[in-house]
Formats: sequence, C-alpha cells, structure tokens
Amino acid sequence: MIWKIAAKEFLLNLMTFKFVVGTILCIVLVAIFVPVLAEDYRQRLQQYDERVADNEAKLRQVKAYRVLTPTVYRRPQVLSVFSQGMEKRLGDSARIDFGVIPQIDAGPAEVNPYLSIFPAFDVLLIFKIVMSALALLVAYDVISREKEQGTLGLMLAHPLRRGHVLLGKLAAGSLTLAVPATIAFIIGLLLLSSSRSASLAGSDWARIAMMYVASLLFVLSMYNIGLLFSCLTRSSALALVLGLFFWVLAVAVVPDGSAYLARRLQPAETVEARDEQIASLEKQFDKDLSAGFEGIAPGGVGCDAGGPFDPYGPMGGAFNYYPALCTPAGFAHWIQRGQMEAAVRMKYADKFRDAGRQYTDSQIKQATVARRIGMMSPTCVYDGVMSALAGTDLADSESWAQAAAAYRETLIAYIRDKTDNLSSPSCYTQSTDAERVAFEKASDSERRKMVEVVDRHTVPLNLDDLPAFRYSTDVIQSLRRAGTGLLLLVVFNVLFFGLSFAAFQKYDVR
Amino acid sequence: MFYRIVRKEILENLLSLRFTLSLLLTISLFAAAAFVFVDDHREQLNDYSRRTNANVADFREQAGQLNKVVFYEQHVYSRPKLLALCAGGFEQSLPRHFVFTGFAIDLPRLAGQSNFALPRFACLDWSFIISLIFSFIAFVSTYDSICGERERGTLRLILTGSIPRATILLGKYAGLMLTLGIPLLLGLLVSLIIVSVSQVDAISGGTWVKMLSIVALSFIYLSIFVLLGLFVSARASRPANCMAALLFIWVTVVILIPSLGRFASDRLSHGAPPTDLAKAMIQAAERVDNEADKYGDRAGARSPNPKECNPPARARYCNARVEAVNEVVESYHNRMLAQAFAGRALTRISPAVVYHTASETFAGTGMQRCISLFRQVRQYQVQLRDYVVGEDRGDPDSLHLLFDEDNLVEEWNAVSKKPVNFDAVPKFEERDFTLSESLRLVVWDLGALALFNLVFFAAAFVSFSGYDVR
Repeated sequence: MIWKIAAKEFLLNLMTFKFVVGTILCIVLVAIFVPVLAEDYRQRLQQYDERVADNEAKLRQVKAYRVLTPTVYRRPQVLSVFSQGMEKRLGDSARIDFGVIPQIDAGPAEVNPYLSIFPAFDVLLIFKIVMSALALLVAYDVISREKEQGTLGLMLAHPLRRGHVLLGKLAAGSLTLAVPATIAFIIGLLLLSSSRSASLAGSDWARIAMMYVASLLFVLSMYNIGLLFSCLTRSSALALVLGLFFWVLAVAVVPDGSAYLARRLQPAETVEARDEQIASLEKQFDKDLSAGFEGIAPGGVGCDAGGPFDPYGPMGGAFNYYPALCTPAGFAHWIQRGQMEAAVRMKYADKFRDAGRQYTDSQIKQATVARRIGMMSPTCVYDGVMSALAGTDLADSESWAQAAAAYRETLIAYIRDKTDNLSSPSCYTQSTDAERVAFEKASDSERRKMVEVVDRHTVPLNLDDLPAFRYSTDVIQSLRRAGTGLLLLVVFNVLFFGLSFAAFQKYDVR
Repeated sequence: MFYRIVRKEILENLLSLRFTLSLLLTISLFAAAAFVFVDDHREQLNDYSRRTNANVADFREQAGQLNKVVFYEQHVYSRPKLLALCAGGFEQSLPRHFVFTGFAIDLPRLAGQSNFALPRFACLDWSFIISLIFSFIAFVSTYDSICGERERGTLRLILTGSIPRATILLGKYAGLMLTLGIPLLLGLLVSLIIVSVSQVDAISGGTWVKMLSIVALSFIYLSIFVLLGLFVSARASRPANCMAALLFIWVTVVILIPSLGRFASDRLSHGAPPTDLAKAMIQAAERVDNEADKYGDRAGARSPNPKECNPPARARYCNARVEAVNEVVESYHNRMLAQAFAGRALTRISPAVVYHTASETFAGTGMQRCISLFRQVRQYQVQLRDYVVGEDRGDPDSLHLLFDEDNLVEEWNAVSKKPVNFDAVPKFEERDFTLSESLRLVVWDLGALALFNLVFFAAAFVSFSGYDVR
C-alpha cells in the first residue's frame, strides 16, 4: 500500500507547475554555469602548471645547495566546480627554506580588490537555494492539501496505518526530488568531463558519488521540514508561510549570522598583532645573527652570485646568494657562516611558526565556532559536507600546509645529506681550491675575468634524486571529515520525519 | 471606496500569521544588525584615529623644514562612516589605505585583513535586510492577494459592486505597501535607537537627510516586488502556483543574478596583473628620460651643485616624469574599477543590485567612494604643492623650484628649508558626497527602479483588468 501511495503522489508531483519550473530552473542554471566554472578551473590549473614549470626550470639552474629553496604549489581541486569552499581565500604556495615553516594562511590579495564586492558562485549555490526551495514547495501541502480536498478522510477510511501514509509520502517526495537532482548532477558531470582540462580520477568519482548522496540527504531534510509543517498546520497556506520563513532563515540568515555571532563570541587575534610580533622576532633574529657572526672568522674578498629563486618570503632574500668565487679564507668563513646561519634560521623558523600559529589558531577557532553555530541550519551542514568532499575546505588546506612542512624537513635532510651537514664545498660554491688560491693573489681586473671563467665551468647541480613534493587530497580523510556532517543530515531527516510522524498520528482529518 | 479597500487589506494583513512572523524576523534582524554595527564601528573608529594620529604626528615632525612637508609619505585611511549602518558597501574588503607624497601616488591598499578562515559573509546592514528579507516578505504577503481572493470567492463579491478594477488594484497595492511599511519603519526605528543610545558616533543633519533618502529608496524598491507579486498573482489561477513562481523569481533576482557579477567581470574585461603596472611605470619613466632634452638644456644632469646643472629644466623634467608615472597608476586604477563596474552593469537587470548600488551611493560608501577618494587625494596633492610654493615665495635664498626629487631639492635649496607653522599646512580631509552629487550619481539607478515599477504596474494592471474571476 505504501508503494501505491508513493506512486500516486509521485505522478501527481511530476505534473505540478512548481516541479516543472523548479526542475527547469535547476537544469538551466547547471547547464549555463558548469561550463563557466570549468573554464575558471582550467585557468587556475593553467596558472598552477605554469608556476610549477617555472619552479622546475629554476631548480635546473641551482648551482649551490645553499640556494636550493624551491616553492611548492597547491593544485586547484577539480571538484571546486561543485563547491568552491575556501580554496580561493587560502594560500596556495609555500617557499621551502631553512628559515620558514609553511603553514596555513590567507591567500595573496586579489589582483583586483574591487572584485571582492561580488559574492561567490558554484554549483552548490544552485542546490542550496533552488533545490531546497523546490523541496519545500513539494512538501508543504502533502497532508494539508489532502485534508482540504477531503481525500485524506477517504484514504484513512481504508484499513491503512497513518505511518504508512506518511512513509508513502516520504518515498514519493524522495523520488520526486531525486529526479531534478539526478538530472542536474548528470548534466553537470557531462559538461565537466567534456571540458578539456578536467580529468576525473577514480577517487574523484567516489567523492562525486558521496556528493550526490549528501545532496539527496540535504534536499530530503528540507522536504521533511516541509512535511512537518504540513502535519502541524490545518491549512496549506499556513504550512507554506511557516515553511518559507524557516527556509529563508536557513538559507539567508543563519549562514551570515553564524559568522557574525562567532566574531562576537570568539574574538580572534588581529593580523596587526601578529605582524608586530613577527617584526620584533625579526629584530631578535638579526641580533642573534650578528652575534653569530662575531663567533666566526672574518671573510675575505669574494664575488657573490644570486640563486635562481626569487628572494621572496620572510627573510628569504638575505640568504639567496652564494660565493661564486672567493679567497680560501673567505671560503672557510662561508662554511662556518652557512652552518651558523642554518642553525639560527632553523631556531627562528620555529619561533616564527609559533607566532603565526597563535594567530592562525585563533582564526580557525573562530571559524569553528561559526561552523558549530551554523549546524542548526541544514544548509550550513550541507555546505560543510560538500566542501569537505570537494577538498576545498579549511582542513584540506591545513593538511596541504602540513605536507609542505614535512617536505621542508625532507629537503633539509636531503641538503644535509648531500653536503655532509653543510660542510662540503658543494653547498656553497663550485670553484676549485686552485682557483680560490689564484683568486687571492690576483689583481681586481684579473679577478673579474676569473669569475667569468668559474661561471662558465660551473654546472647546475644534479638534482635528479631530489624528492619531489606530492600532495593529493586523501579520499578517506575527506570522507571522514564529511562524515559528521552527513550523519547530522541523517539525524535531521530522522528527527523531522519522526516529528512529522508524531504530529500526523494526532492529525485531525476533518 | 478606495480607503475602505486599503483599510480592509491592512487589517487583514495585520492579523495574519505571516505579518507576525515578518515583524519578529525583521525587527530582530534590524536589532542584531545595529548591535553588530555599533561594536564594529567603535572598533573601526579606534583603529582609524590611531592610524590617523600616527600619520599626523609624523607629518608634524616634517614641519621643521618646508621642503620636507611636500615629500613626506602620508598614510591616509578612509574614515568609518555612520551611514555604513544603512549600506556598508563591502568597505572592509575594498582598498581604503592611500599612500602618497606631494607628488607620487600609489594604488590604494587594503587596510587590515578579516579572518581568512571564515567564509565570506555579506555586510549585515539595512540594505542587506531590505533587499533580501523584505523583498521576500513582499512576495509572501502578495502571493494570494488576487488569486487567493478568487479562490475564496470574495473577489467576485467585490467586483459586483461598482468599483473599477483599477481602484481595487491600487487599494490592494496601497494596503500592502502600508503593511510592509510597518515592520520596515519599526525595524529602522529600533536600529536607530540602538545606535543613538550607544552614542558611538554623532548623527549630523546631513546624515538624517541621507538616511531618509535611503528609506525612500527602500520603499521604491519594495514597491517593485509588491507590484511583481500582484502581477503574478493576477496571472495565476491558484495561490500555490503563484507562490512557486514568485519563489523562483525571488531566488533568481535576489540571489542568483547578483552572484553572477564576478563572472561578468572576468569575462567582459580582463584585469591586468600587477607586473604589468610595474612594467608600464618603468616604461613611462623611460619615455620621459629619452626626451629629457625637450625640457631644456642638461635636464638629465644631476649633481649637488646647481651651477653644474640647469635647475629649471631639471624641475620641468622631474615633474613631467612623476606626472607620467602617476598617469599610469591612475589609468591602471581606473581599469580595475572599470572591470568591477562591468560586472555590476550586467547584473543590474536585477533590482536588488540597482538598489544596493544606489543605497551605497547615498550612504557614500562602496566603489563610488573609492573613486571619489582617489580623486580627492589627487586634488589634495595639488593643494599641498600650491601651499609649499606659496610659502616658498617669502624666502629670498631659495631657487623657487618645486619638483619631485627630494635629495636635489634639499641640496640645491630649491625650496625654502625654513620651518613652517604646521597648523597652516593643509591636511587631507575626506569630503563626503553632497546630496545633489549623490543624486546625480544615482539618477540612472532611480530611473531604472522607477522603470521596473512602471513596467510591473502596467503588467499587473493589464493582467488584473482581464482577470477571470470565476
């Protein structure tokens, strides 16, 4: 009997005006925007590829281990088409160096800051708003309309359990809503996979499947809320009004409101405070460094050369050069100096990281509070689940930063291993002992020529065995992060359906 | 008869559940927005005065020597506005920190950084509540006003009287607008009471006028939604269908279309990367360098001794160079603005965007303010230079040449080195839009809103005239 009710409801729903309009709107929007979003992804991917290639090219020019300071980049997530999340707001590159430990931070300022007046857009928005509105419109009159038309009384005159009626309605609702959701997903995926740049791997499909499940759960929870209002009220007009007010709260008020509330409840450290702290650390660092210089032998004349990597990043530029050619005394100085600098910089890298972490933690804590407050709205829960599945959430950026920090350790160990703990000449220069001795004796004009000769015979280091940086979003991890949210969506469904069930048991069919 | 219909409509609406719900929702939102604003505004004012005082203190130190006044690098921030309560205009994420000397100007920079871990959220201000929530309430209250009466059969009863249909429509419209006005005005009142009790900032006469303009604008905006609701209601046969149609219209107009601005901006015009700016600045300076002779004999030469050079030529050359570089910066800045405006222009098919833009302009926030601030800084630079030139005239020892090369000006004594009275030195003061300036800027927006009103009124009128009451 449940199935009969479900089939009847489903067919009735399919023919309604609201269903047709909602479905068409959803499909048209997906069809228009997925190509645009895919193009946006392509551009970002292209930029990423260019930057990685540039980094590779520079790696092939490194002539001393001292200036081996590559930059690692975060690859844009292909599923950001579905849920943009925080991806564009967070940093996507990290310099790997003795003096700085990569950590999660704000991304670079936008090229054109005036574009920040526009809100973000992704496929998620279509689902969050259009599909949830459709779910509500399908659900609000399932009980109250039948009562108004008198068919509810007729139905219940049969030997039929009320629970079965409601289950039938639920089944019909899920089927009805699955139609536009499925079509939208299929069209979206077809368009995405037909775009040149987006290649979907096996793990991506698993994540997409979970996204589909999450979307269904979300839409269904909105349906169950509509059902609840329908069971609670005697007229469908009233159910509609209540449902709409709930919907506007869930969709428009709670997401923004939670951020505001979190800012009150959990004040975060300002970026100025962090910058001040870092500035004072930098002063101490300079002091420690000059103290370190006092402990080592003074250097002689030398000709320094810059490394291929940009002197970008905190305290990067000052260390981005090496002695192409110098006197033997200068060379002894360089070896001591390199070890001293590395020790001081490693020490301060931890301090800078701690100063940064204090700030970052307070920001993340605030964001966590905002997310917790948002949990009362299915929309926010759904948002969190989708960005976790797409790998565009905060946590994924954090684990990327952790991977970059681990890569820094690897790289430092590699350099230490190659240079006999920063003491071998290859760490600093490729000039030979004989050249250095000759350099000491030469006149200024001869020296210039000698530098040119050295420059010609030095070759870039062979970095074939340099471990490469790899990071890919772990599907298991992102599923785990999405798990709580998914569970919460299930709880929403059970809760709202249970409440509707209780309300319907006592529903007056007259 | 008209008044009777209006009265009936108002009473009917006032007693409905949706009215109570809207009242609760909007008043709590207005109150929350006001509390948030008071806290934020206080903090921003503190930041602003701290930064401004630091700048003025440094500037004061330069007053010991007239020539230093013009070369001091000033840091000016836009003042937090009380009217941001009405329309914040995303000021927090717009560049509002200006760095300039008497000659050179940089691109405006961002001041501070919001929490990077929080997703972007809209400004909780009046225009957010009105454009989003009130437009929604307008639809919820109008959806059954015509087709609902038809279903209940009361429409027939009304039409059996000798009242023209136009009167009924106008009566309904007036009744709905008045009912919407109640939560709106109450909410605004609550918000204003909270702000004035907190005494966070003084409310001047001009501010009141601008607030009133924004309130009037809000009514014009809401009227569009009421008319649209009436139109759809007069086309639909059943209220349920009408609400479904209205809900999808609302989603499209208020949420989806404004979100497209970003795409439109990216597609319609391409922004130039900052490296382009640096390159263009160098090229502009080089172009002037290559034509150095145009400015006089030995204009390219520089040495501490003015006799070895040609000071007037050097001055002309330096000023031409800085002017060329400034022009590059300004045109780059204009291009960035144009890109953002392109996106906005396309999304103006949505009244919500038009309303946002217009209320921002009335409030003197948002992008129009950025444009105006940049222009004001440029004017101030001229004013500062004029002041220095004027003061310099009194010093017989100086060469009376002001140009953008601080070392040479100092070494040549090209501008007097005597101390000046700091109080007489012009300081940068931001000037707000006057009401007539804002009106000139929003005239097209007002026109667009009026046009929307007119179109939907005509549509509602035509549909209702031909409405089948059976």
